[in-house]
Amino acid sequence: MDLLTRFNMLLASGTETVGGEAAEHGAEAAHHVVAPLPSFYGLMVLIAIVFLVMIGFLASAKGGLNKKFFTKTTTKLLEQLFVFIEGLAVGIIGAHGRKYIPMMMVFWLTIFIGNLVALLIHASPTSDLSFNLGMALIAVGYVQFEGMKANGVVGHFRHFAGPKLPLAMIPITLMIFIIEIISETMKNVSLSLRLYGNIYGGGEAVKAMNNLGAQYGVPWLNFGDFLFPIKLLTCVVQALIFCLLFAVYLSLVTHHEEDHEEGHDHSAHGETAPAH
Amino acid sequence: MSQETAIKKTGSGALVGSVLLGAAFIAIGWFITANGVTTNTEHSIQEAVGIHIEFGKLLGTIGIFVAMFKVADVFFLTPLFEAIHGRTSELENTFSEAENLRAEMTQLKADYEKRITETENSAREQIQAQIKEAQDLKKELMADAQRKAEEYKTQAMSEIDTEKRKTLTDLRLHVTTLSLQATEKLLSENVDNDRNRKIIDDFLATVEVKN
Repeated sequence: MDLLTRFNMLLASGTETVGGEAAEHGAEAAHHVVAPLPSFYGLMVLIAIVFLVMIGFLASAKGGLNKKFFTKTTTKLLEQLFVFIEGLAVGIIGAHGRKYIPMMMVFWLTIFIGNLVALLIHASPTSDLSFNLGMALIAVGYVQFEGMKANGVVGHFRHFAGPKLPLAMIPITLMIFIIEIISETMKNVSLSLRLYGNIYGGGEAVKAMNNLGAQYGVPWLNFGDFLFPIKLLTCVVQALIFCLLFAVYLSLVTHHEEDHEEGHDHSAHGETAPAH
Repeated sequence: MSQETAIKKTGSGALVGSVLLGAAFIAIGWFITANGVTTNTEHSIQEAVGIHIEFGKLLGTIGIFVAMFKVADVFFLTPLFEAIHGRTSELENTFSEAENLRAEMTQLKADYEKRITETENSAREQIQAQIKEAQDLKKELMADAQRKAEEYKTQAMSEIDTEKRKTLTDLRLHVTTLSLQATEKLLSENVDNDRNRKIIDDFLATVEVKN
């Protein structure tokens, strides 16, 4: 049993999970490289690994900030990420979108580093639906909070009822309201399931392809390794999609008139207009 | 809205509050997991929709993010934003100064070109004036010379005329004397000298002298 498998078993068997699945998952991990769902402590360890890597990267980048020109590689990388996220925030939300950059950067770094961790130790917080749902709840909850701050509590919920219709159309308004509430709730599912499906599914795909080698008499050949480039791309794309959707949700609820005009200007110049 | 106002600084109170709130979420998550508070609900959800969600992990994740947002913001992201914005502002100022200097240089260049043009025009005017003055002087000198030449010529003509008249007078006197001498010898008699001289002068006055 190699070190990686032992580590995965450790993550899974930290505490008793639903129906004693940890032991089963742990045993399964001994046969397959892909980790089972981690326990509470296992997830905390994985999150700690992700955030330690993130803090190490940020601390290293911070060390290069005292110069007029950023020469440190980590600082330059972080600057590029900042410029990218800033472009995303300002392009989609508008000029006031800059205040959401820190949150978007934390999301981006967490998901990206989490996905990278999944490539290296075959276990990641992002392959756990509970973790992804927690992130989605924070994102959607923050969007609702910003919506209420921008439009007022009543204004924010009135927004769910759609356009103002005549009195006779109250059932339609009610129906729109319910659909919008369901839609808002589904944003959590959309954000969490997409990430979970891609990362967990990617791991399962690797596991299945690795078993192919044994079936065709070449057990030493891990076909799953050929998926590495596309999994690497997935790491970036999933982080991007999460931040992109977060920005779009924010732009929908923090609608500003001046941004509309700005958006028209963007359209006139052939640039991407904010998605209102 | 400026970038400086767009990204607000997080105070230490908010940081401590976030960390405490995050810790509380994590503690609740741990408590739920450790005591199996939501196990039945989790089972129900899994049986209903086939998705395994653990509320303990969920709350733990939320707690970690609540704390991490502020920690990352205060210790790393805000300094990064400030550094980037500071550098951007500095670059903008440098570019602005360079632009101002360029405008100033352009203005100076235009001024110098204008001054050069003015100097050239002035020099040209001065040269033209000097040429004109020289030409006027030349004309004046030529006129003066001409006038003097005319004067000399007139004076010479006058002197010539005077000399001619004097010569003619001498010649007339000499002819008169010779005539008188000849007449005296011819007539061999004493004639009144003054009366004869008058007769001869009258005669000679009627005679036109040919040059």
